[in-house]
Amino acid sequence: MLINSELCIGCEKCNPYCPVGAIYTDASEKVSKIDLTECVECGSCLRQANCPVDAIYQQELVWPRTIRSIMSDPLTITEESGIAGRGTEEMKTNDVTGRFRNGYVGVGIEMGRPILGAYMSDVEKVTKAVAAYGVVFEPCNPLTTLMSDQTSGKFQNELLGEKVLSTIIEFTVPINRISGIIKILKDVSKQIDTVFSLGFISKLDSDEMFPLNHILDEFGINYAPNGKTNVGLGRPLFKEKGELV
Amino acid sequence: MTHTLHRLGNSESLRHDIVFTYMPSNNINHVGSAPKLRKFLEICRDLGAIKIGDTRKGNEYVQGSLENMLNNIEDRAVVEAVFDNEIKAINALKAIKEADLGLSLVVSGLFEQTRECCRKAGLNMHTVNQSLGIWGRTDKLPEKRGILELNTMCGHGMVSVSFIEYAVKKIKTGKWTPEKAAENLFKCCVCGIVNTTRAVEILKELSEEKG
Repeated sequence: MLINSELCIGCEKCNPYCPVGAIYTDASEKVSKIDLTECVECGSCLRQANCPVDAIYQQELVWPRTIRSIMSDPLTITEESGIAGRGTEEMKTNDVTGRFRNGYVGVGIEMGRPILGAYMSDVEKVTKAVAAYGVVFEPCNPLTTLMSDQTSGKFQNELLGEKVLSTIIEFTVPINRISGIIKILKDVSKQIDTVFSLGFISKLDSDEMFPLNHILDEFGINYAPNGKTNVGLGRPLFKEKGELV
Repeated sequence: MTHTLHRLGNSESLRHDIVFTYMPSNNINHVGSAPKLRKFLEICRDLGAIKIGDTRKGNEYVQGSLENMLNNIEDRAVVEAVFDNEIKAINALKAIKEADLGLSLVVSGLFEQTRECCRKAGLNMHTVNQSLGIWGRTDKLPEKRGILELNTMCGHGMVSVSFIEYAVKKIKTGKWTPEKAAENLFKCCVCGIVNTTRAVEILKELSEEKG
């Protein structure tokens, strides 16, 4: 995103809308400017600030900068998932897709969230760490398609300097391998210069017991009292082998 | 795996924060889903949702009006409804079940409350997504819990820290009411899932703090 300095009147109306603080006031010119290194192309300033002189404009984005918009602008519809935003249908439609089955855990590592954003070089540290453990990344996730080698979690070098507001590393592992993932994440979280929010997905049994809590307790991981629950209203309902209709 | 997943807050505050997400699945039931998505939003609106939204095309402000938002729903949309009241949420769950529209419904909120809501509506918890917190450089995050609570109400992080601070300043100087400030925060969240009732309470607390 850019601000036309010829038009800008320096009202600073747009400055607070930026989620990564990339809009600043140039003291000598008395106009607002955007630090393109920090800007994640989320479109918030253009949508929300109602610039009185229409000085904010979207420049043509060229590769690799385009990934900033794909990962950061909620209204960008990605080719891989077909839905708006940087994620996938994940557990939201698990009642009809059966993507997450009994005995498996879906892992979502949302790099850069909250607030800080993430450089792809930090994202790669995490993808490489979990790839070394043999995970298979979710193919519908746009981040996966950016990898030059999905078995190693490596991205093309030209992407590593790009910054995104957030991006989600997604994969599924058998429940007996989740302890190994937790250990890896504890370790790699000390090597990055940003944050990630971590989420686990699991299917509940007929008693509605949460299958992961005892493992999380074992590692001393605090899990939030709130989260997302698919309540099984989708049709046709996916049935695992052996499940009663 | 996010959107409404990582909302921060204490249990008392989160008790008034129940969000429904309704969507079709690609190549399974997405064809012809637009009228069903609209029907879902109308049920929620009529039964007391404080906000409804569309992730694909944007909230009522992005689209110019609530009517535009309802008219523009597409087959692959993901739509949402925000409730600040458990009884209203249960009534909506019952009505959605009764309507039998056949798309997938996710309820976000306190798990124990969700369990109770489902039980009263005759539904079962099928799959859960648990939040295991924030890892890494947490020292770089704002210290004020209220700012994090407001920021995480928008799963895409569109409610910026600087805009929250700007809104608090406006309340402190009497230029905005907490309600107006909450509505302005909602506008930033293009999916329309900021809970304005909760936001008002948090903004009041932040504006009463010194400094």
